[in-house]
Amino acid sequence: MSTAPILGLEPGVTADVVPARRKGGFVWQVIRERPVAAVGASVVLAFVLIAVLAPVLAPYGLHERVGPVYGRPSRQHLLGLDDGGIDMITLLMYGARTSLLVGFAATLVAGVIGGGIGILAGYFGGAVDAVLMRVTDYFLVIPDVPFMIVVAALWGPSLTHIILVIGLLLWTTTARIVRSQVKSIRERVYVKRAGAMGAGHARIVLRHILPQVAPILVANVVLTIAVAIFDETALSFLGLGDPSKISWGKIIENAFQRTALSSGAWWAIVPAGICVALPILGCTLVGQAMEDALNPRLRVSHLGARKFRVRAMVAKGEL
Amino acid sequence: MRGIDYVLKRTGFALITVFVAITLNFVLFRALPGDAITNLSRVPHATPQLKRAIAKEFGLDKSKWQQYVIYLEQLAKGNMGISYEDQQPVVSKLKEKLANTIPMVALGTVIAILLGVVTGVISAWRRGTYLDNLSTMTAMAFYSFPTQWLALMLIILLAGFFPVSGRTDVFLLNPSAWQHFKDVMIHMTLPALTVALTLYGEYTLIVRSAMLETLGEDYVLTARAKGLKPWTVVRRHAFRNAMLPTVTLMAISLGYIVAGQILIETVFGWPGIGRAVFLAVSERDFPMLQGAFLVLTLVVVFFNLAADLLYFRLDPRITT
Amino acid sequence: MTLLEVRDLHVWFDLPHGGELHAVQGVGFEVDPGQRLGLVGESGCGKTTTILALMGLLPGNATVAGSVLLDGEDILAVGEDTVRPHRWKDVAMVFQGAMNALNPVRTVGDQIVEPMELHGIAEGEAARRSARELLEMVGIPGSGASRYPHEFSGGMRQRAALAMALACQPQVLLADEPTTALDVMVQAQILEMLVALSTELNLALILVTHDLPVVAQVCERAAVMYAGRIAEAGPVDALYHDPRHPYTRLLFAATPDLHGERDVVSIPGTPPRLDRPIVGCPFQPRCDRAFEPCPVERPELMGVGSNHIAACHLNTVAAWNGA
Repeated sequence: MSTAPILGLEPGVTADVVPARRKGGFVWQVIRERPVAAVGASVVLAFVLIAVLAPVLAPYGLHERVGPVYGRPSRQHLLGLDDGGIDMITLLMYGARTSLLVGFAATLVAGVIGGGIGILAGYFGGAVDAVLMRVTDYFLVIPDVPFMIVVAALWGPSLTHIILVIGLLLWTTTARIVRSQVKSIRERVYVKRAGAMGAGHARIVLRHILPQVAPILVANVVLTIAVAIFDETALSFLGLGDPSKISWGKIIENAFQRTALSSGAWWAIVPAGICVALPILGCTLVGQAMEDALNPRLRVSHLGARKFRVRAMVAKGEL
Repeated sequence: MRGIDYVLKRTGFALITVFVAITLNFVLFRALPGDAITNLSRVPHATPQLKRAIAKEFGLDKSKWQQYVIYLEQLAKGNMGISYEDQQPVVSKLKEKLANTIPMVALGTVIAILLGVVTGVISAWRRGTYLDNLSTMTAMAFYSFPTQWLALMLIILLAGFFPVSGRTDVFLLNPSAWQHFKDVMIHMTLPALTVALTLYGEYTLIVRSAMLETLGEDYVLTARAKGLKPWTVVRRHAFRNAMLPTVTLMAISLGYIVAGQILIETVFGWPGIGRAVFLAVSERDFPMLQGAFLVLTLVVVFFNLAADLLYFRLDPRITT
Repeated sequence: MTLLEVRDLHVWFDLPHGGELHAVQGVGFEVDPGQRLGLVGESGCGKTTTILALMGLLPGNATVAGSVLLDGEDILAVGEDTVRPHRWKDVAMVFQGAMNALNPVRTVGDQIVEPMELHGIAEGEAARRSARELLEMVGIPGSGASRYPHEFSGGMRQRAALAMALACQPQVLLADEPTTALDVMVQAQILEMLVALSTELNLALILVTHDLPVVAQVCERAAVMYAGRIAEAGPVDALYHDPRHPYTRLLFAATPDLHGERDVVSIPGTPPRLDRPIVGCPFQPRCDRAFEPCPVERPELMGVGSNHIAACHLNTVAAWNGA
């Protein structure tokens, strides 16, 4: 899974420059205008709330054994119990904390690195650009999952390490997109003028370039969150997650390792997967809506299933 | 042949990337702190003889530079070392694992491509309708489900009909070639199906996007103006052009797919290269791990190069 | 019987949030073989939609009404099915900006041969030969047939598009802004070619443009469109020297005069919205000679001279009396 196909923007393609607006303003606008994005955003928000409020919302304790191994779903335990007799819903809520935390944190890492490298490469151009792009190319070629496994195994499975590993893998697409955008913005007159007036590099970047890059950066970041959550789930499943923390991936792993399937305990597996999919789907919807807003492909379609209609002639004045 | 210099240039780049990958591979496994190979105390089967043999082979008593040179020499000879687990040469083990993974992945990918192209084209054709929205949502949903979860779901649903573990039936003794083939195929079904389901969503969205792009191009209007039937216009003009970026994106994704099958192979116990990586990690079988990682990187580089050349071949607009 | 007659053509587009945009509101005109008619107006006035409608090249959210009579037969009667057989064979089109009108991954020759084979004009080697001849006719060496569109300059691409349009020997050629985005020298060449082809092949030409000098150079007659309707139509000379609609007069005045003798006058204001019914004359808010009936009553097209019609209250008896 990667962000490139969804984002549809390849290096060299730039988004329409959005008039300088607060980052928050752009996000809000997209959500308001597109109901699909609103749905996606609400889903993500809902999960974030659940994660944050887990200790308050969870019906039972995280380590509290309330029934038999793989207890069936019942009225007190809508999603049954896991192999330790712990309430599934509680597990899922606490699991949200880790999964979402890693997702957001890793994306932050990727965004900072990718954004930084993209800006540097796009702004300075020349040798700096060439070197940075070579580095990006090599990182791109690294196979994701094996790399995560290797590094997580070598480094030891702690939350920080996982966040860093995932972040290290995901920054490349961000870097490329930011670089394209910065390059095109740099050509704009007012940036050149600011440079002529003696403004320092940092000032130019912060005041002129960053606001223009922000929308597309945000769109990419949102989509990256989806991938980061996905990757964390994969890592946990392979037993490389932080053993002290419960995450959705870990729930699935536990179920797999401890033969939930042969015990017929589908509730130990199915809800966890759905929990992972929903925020990913939400982020994808929002991110794609943002990308559509920035890159308005002509709504024109010269051909489609629908044909134009012919209206019969009636007396003048009635058409 | 047009642009032979372009081909050479891109192949050259790929080779450089390969070289860099080899070097980084060395750095990752040997030169970083937490040096896995030298920290032999973590190796479970390490008898003193084994440790001595390893130290000798990898030249662990020499400097890093010399180790690097030895490493390159060995690679040039096609020697990736001996697996700790069963003392077999890494290269032959990797060959076998790769040969297990590729058919499974290929089958799944072919299904995914067919499914993705069909749904993508139909979605674009009926853009904005209920069908389009449904198909796009479904594609996104499958794209979002964790791979291992999908695998498990398939097991839950189809366990009675298909074997859920392994590549062959261990109880099938002395099978004929045909029986063996059937046996493998039936074991391959669920894993390949999982590959297909995880992949198709991405392909649907790519195809749909590319088709919408071409359907809005002026040459499609021209084709329609010539009096061609709508479906002919789609087939000969829109689809053909939409496939250009699509095919290259698909080719690139293939590289990562081969690498990413760890999850599926783990769930289904499929003895492929992904699973080999995972087992190597848990067994601390570092030569195997290092070899597998290198091979996977090479696969990615290969497919990236293939995509590059393919696009160049297909699109007459690309000169150097 | 005229070759092509358009009667009371209407086109509506469905709007995304409901409602309709009435893009073309009762347009009518006719051409005979060898005649060249210009369709002039600002962008958004509906001229492109009009000629697209002639070939039924409207998108799925469009509704059309009226008749398009080709040799007396209404080709728009049922819609796509009745109009498709006539495409390219009877009525062909050259689009704005041939940059994208040609498929970039197929050779120019292939694209010229395609309609020939489709309509049964020629096949195989004979078709390829004809394609080369067509290219020569528009000033491109025959070897260009095996080249791809991106290998040509803008002007040559437009000529190739022209050759392609003539592949099936149509009776009517529609040209939508064929010279916009080309430089002046190339423009002049293409326009000369259009005139020559029209004369030699007895081809009827409908030229859509916002550029008045182009119309003056190429066409004998022109129709000026505003807000989806025809404001005035007649011989180009008459439109220039004796405009009977303020919009026509202002349009000609807005064209920079090469000799620098006139001031450039731009028309203040913007065209009206077409998603609501318009009361009165659509040009009235921007008109410099509007009077009492203008905001209230819609002016109908009426004869104001030999083969010259205009839709303006100023031409009525009342205006003469009042003025």
